[in-house]
Amino acid sequence: MKSMKMDIRGQICPSSLLLVLREVNRLHRELKAGQLCMTILTDNRAATGTIPEAVSNMGINANVAKLDGYYRITIHKQGD
Amino acid sequence: MGFSVWVVMSGLMMIGMAVGFLMHRSDFCMAGAFRDVFLFRSYRLIRPLVLLASLSALLFELCRIADLLPVYPFPWFAPPAGVNIVGGVVFGLGMVMAGGCVVGVLYKMGAGNLLSLIAFTGLLVGSALYAEIHSWWLSLLRLTAFPTSAVTVPQLFGGSSTVLVLTGAAVGGLCCWRWRRDGLWVDRNAAEGFIPLWITATGLAVLGVLTVLLCGIPMGVTTSYAKGAALLESWLAPGHLATLPYFTATPVQHTLPLDGILRSGGAGPNFDVVAILQLPLILGIIGGSWLSAQLLDEFRVVWKVPFNQGSMAFAGGIIMALGSRMSPGCNVWHLWGGVPQLTMQSLLFVGGLLPGAWLGGKILQRVLAPATSSQRS
Repeated sequence: MKSMKMDIRGQICPSSLLLVLREVNRLHRELKAGQLCMTILTDNRAATGTIPEAVSNMGINANVAKLDGYYRITIHKQGD
Repeated sequence: MGFSVWVVMSGLMMIGMAVGFLMHRSDFCMAGAFRDVFLFRSYRLIRPLVLLASLSALLFELCRIADLLPVYPFPWFAPPAGVNIVGGVVFGLGMVMAGGCVVGVLYKMGAGNLLSLIAFTGLLVGSALYAEIHSWWLSLLRLTAFPTSAVTVPQLFGGSSTVLVLTGAAVGGLCCWRWRRDGLWVDRNAAEGFIPLWITATGLAVLGVLTVLLCGIPMGVTTSYAKGAALLESWLAPGHLATLPYFTATPVQHTLPLDGILRSGGAGPNFDVVAILQLPLILGIIGGSWLSAQLLDEFRVVWKVPFNQGSMAFAGGIIMALGSRMSPGCNVWHLWGGVPQLTMQSLLFVGGLLPGAWLGGKILQRVLAPATSSQRS
């Protein structure tokens, strides 16, 4: 499986969500097929809710974990 | 500085800290509330604003009935003018471009966000620019003034404010109840220490009432941004500052409930009643947000931000400052103070916020979406 990382720390809404959605839309087929896993690094607290909600509406799963002062959002095929 | 001033400033500082703490925990973004309706068709953030305005209306009216409000309607609100709506449009555009309203910028800045600091700088620049066009804008304001001396809708119709205000609060409350019934208050936010938006909205309404009881006037911060700009200008170009009526006049008068002394103030670089009422709130909001971020170990300054986002934040700050001076007043002043009393200036301002936020969303989509910092591995 391919992986892709987006480091959007320091950015606030709506740019965080707009940038991620643009990439998810572009790579939607690979994500849905389970060929790609996206990792988002963000310090925007709102993004831990808006990004998972937006991608789940597109049939893709997202998990959130807190790291060292920021959050990691992993976007992948549902069920993976 | 007298004892009563010290008490008021200390109290406002604590209220500001609570506001900053709550806003950071919930990421209570008022700019996002209007923006996301148009940009994402999302009503998630607008619901707590309805709760905030409805609950504030109920609490302010109860205080008025209990004779706890010394002045009705709140001081510094004036009869409406057509340009109030123009101010709302400009403000709405600016706050969406800046990534936060005048208070949102403060709490995000307190948590270490550089883009919000850039927007704050823009707010100072915009306030200084407004001083250059103040006289012209005043003439427009007089030209478009409505032919009435009424400040609020109840005053316009000559009836009791209780019926109209409580009807408005009840309609808002009914909407909130229906959203609760439909499970729309449930938030999927996974951030550590997240406080649900409805709790923060309720807390902010209570803090707004405490502010009014303490100092006799609702929360506001933007004239102090103008004071900051005036202070900088007094160092850089004192001769020019002395020629600007906006910075030399003291048109505002207010009596603190604690001591009954009438004080005056304005946008100039002096320690006056505006500074007494607004400076502690500004410092408190930044401090409260900083404290919240520190407790969560989330205070980090990321120095490298995309140029287009930094430019957008700076331009947004300038435009937002112009809008707040043109309205006059910011979203906090109008949504948290004027709208709950059905002040016509505030209702016009909110009417302008909507098209402004729509326009801001369109610009954001065009400018921000093409840039990305992705890398494959």
